[in-house]
Amino acid sequence: MKIKAKMKRDMAVIKVLAKHPMETGLRKDKKTDKIIPAKFIKELVCKHGDKVVFHADFGRSVSKNPYVSFSFAGAQKGETVSMTWTDNTDETVTVEAPIK
Amino acid sequence: MYNSVKKYLKVLVLATAAQGLFATAAYAQDPGHYGLGRIATEEEVAGWDIDVRPDGLGLPDGSGSVSVGEGLYEAQCASCHGLFGEGEGRWPVLAGGEGTLTDDRPQKTVGSYWPYASTLWDYTRRAMPFTAPQSLSVDETYAITAYVLYLNELVEEDFVLTKENFLTVKMPNAEGFFEDDRPDVKNTACMKDCKDPASIKVISTIAGVSPTEHLEEKGAEESEAAEPGNVHGKAIYKQSCAVCHDHGVAGAPKTGDNEIWADRLVPGMEAVVERAISGYTGEDGVMPPKGGNMSLSDEDVTAAVHYMVEQSQ
Repeated sequence: MKIKAKMKRDMAVIKVLAKHPMETGLRKDKKTDKIIPAKFIKELVCKHGDKVVFHADFGRSVSKNPYVSFSFAGAQKGETVSMTWTDNTDETVTVEAPIK
Repeated sequence: MYNSVKKYLKVLVLATAAQGLFATAAYAQDPGHYGLGRIATEEEVAGWDIDVRPDGLGLPDGSGSVSVGEGLYEAQCASCHGLFGEGEGRWPVLAGGEGTLTDDRPQKTVGSYWPYASTLWDYTRRAMPFTAPQSLSVDETYAITAYVLYLNELVEEDFVLTKENFLTVKMPNAEGFFEDDRPDVKNTACMKDCKDPASIKVISTIAGVSPTEHLEEKGAEESEAAEPGNVHGKAIYKQSCAVCHDHGVAGAPKTGDNEIWADRLVPGMEAVVERAISGYTGEDGVMPPKGGNMSLSDEDVTAAVHYMVEQSQ
C-alpha cells in the first residue's frame, strides 16, 4: 500500500494505492477450470491520530489495486495518517505516512 | 569542322575541371570525396552520442535521490504516468504488474518487464518529459530514475542513485529474455550440398533481373550436345506461346498433342515456322504474327517452334 498525504491550503489531500488482487470469487481459472477463491478488501479505514477520517466498505466489484483519493480538514503538516485495509480472509495491512 | 569541335570540347573540359576544383576546394578537404556535406563537429557528435548501455557505459557523473525524484516526478511525470506510476488514462503504466507476463493481459512495466535499469535512464533523458524531451539535467534524470525504481519497490526510500552504484540495481525480469532460437533465424540448411553455380543457367527473368526459372544442366559436355535451340526455344515458348499452346486456346495446336502436330507439319517445318512468324488465319485456328509478341526476332520464333515440335513428336 502506498500513501501520498499533502496539505493543500487547510485540507489534507490523501491518495492511496492499495496493492490487492481483489479476486471476486466468481472467476474460473481457465486451465484448471476451478473457481479462483475470493479475496477482496472489505474495509478501508484512514485514521488521523485516533480519529477515523475516512471509512470505505468495499465489495467484490472494486477493481484490482484500488486507488482512493479523499481530503479532510483539521490536519497539520508533519502529522501522520494511518491507512488500514482488511479483506474477506481477515488479512489486514496498516501503513503510516507523514503529511507533507 | 573536326578541329572546331575538338577545340570546343577542350574548352568545355577545362571549364568543367575548373568548376570541379573550385567545388572541391570550397566544400571538402578530403579529395577522395565528392565535396558534399562536412564532417560533424565534436559538439554535434556529443549531442547525438547520449546512449546508456546495460553495462553502464555512457552514464555521466552525477547522482539523484528517491526523495528529490519524488518531487520532480510529481511535478513533471505524474500527470500522465500517475502518482504511483499506475498510468493516467491510457498513458504508460510504470509500476506494478509483477508476475503478469504470462497472463492474457500482461502488464509490462519497468519492474515487471524491463531487463535493464539503463533503459529507464536513457529513455528518460532522451525522450521525457513528453512535452519537453531532453530538458532534464543529469542529476534530475538520476533522481527520477531512482524514484521510478522506488515505485517498483526495487530500491528503498532513502536510496541515492549514482553512476557508481547504478549496476547494483537488480531488475526482476533481467533473466526473462533469451536469444531467439527459432529456426528461421538460424537456418544453416541451405549452406550444405549447394548446387554448383556454374551448372545453373537463368532462362527466364522478370524485367531482366529477377530469375523466375532455373535450368540445371548436368554437365558442360551434355549441354553442348543438346539442341542449341532447346533452352532458348523453351524460354521463348514459356514467355510468349504457352498461354495459348499449353491449352489449345483459339484453335492453337496443343504442345505435346502428337496427332494435331503431325497434321500441321504436313506442309513441312519451314511452312510452319513461316506461319508462326507472319501469322495465320484459317478454319482450324488463328495464329497472330510471332504469337503477338513483335519484340521477338525471327530466330526467337524459330527456336520456339522447334521446341514445340520436339515436344510433340
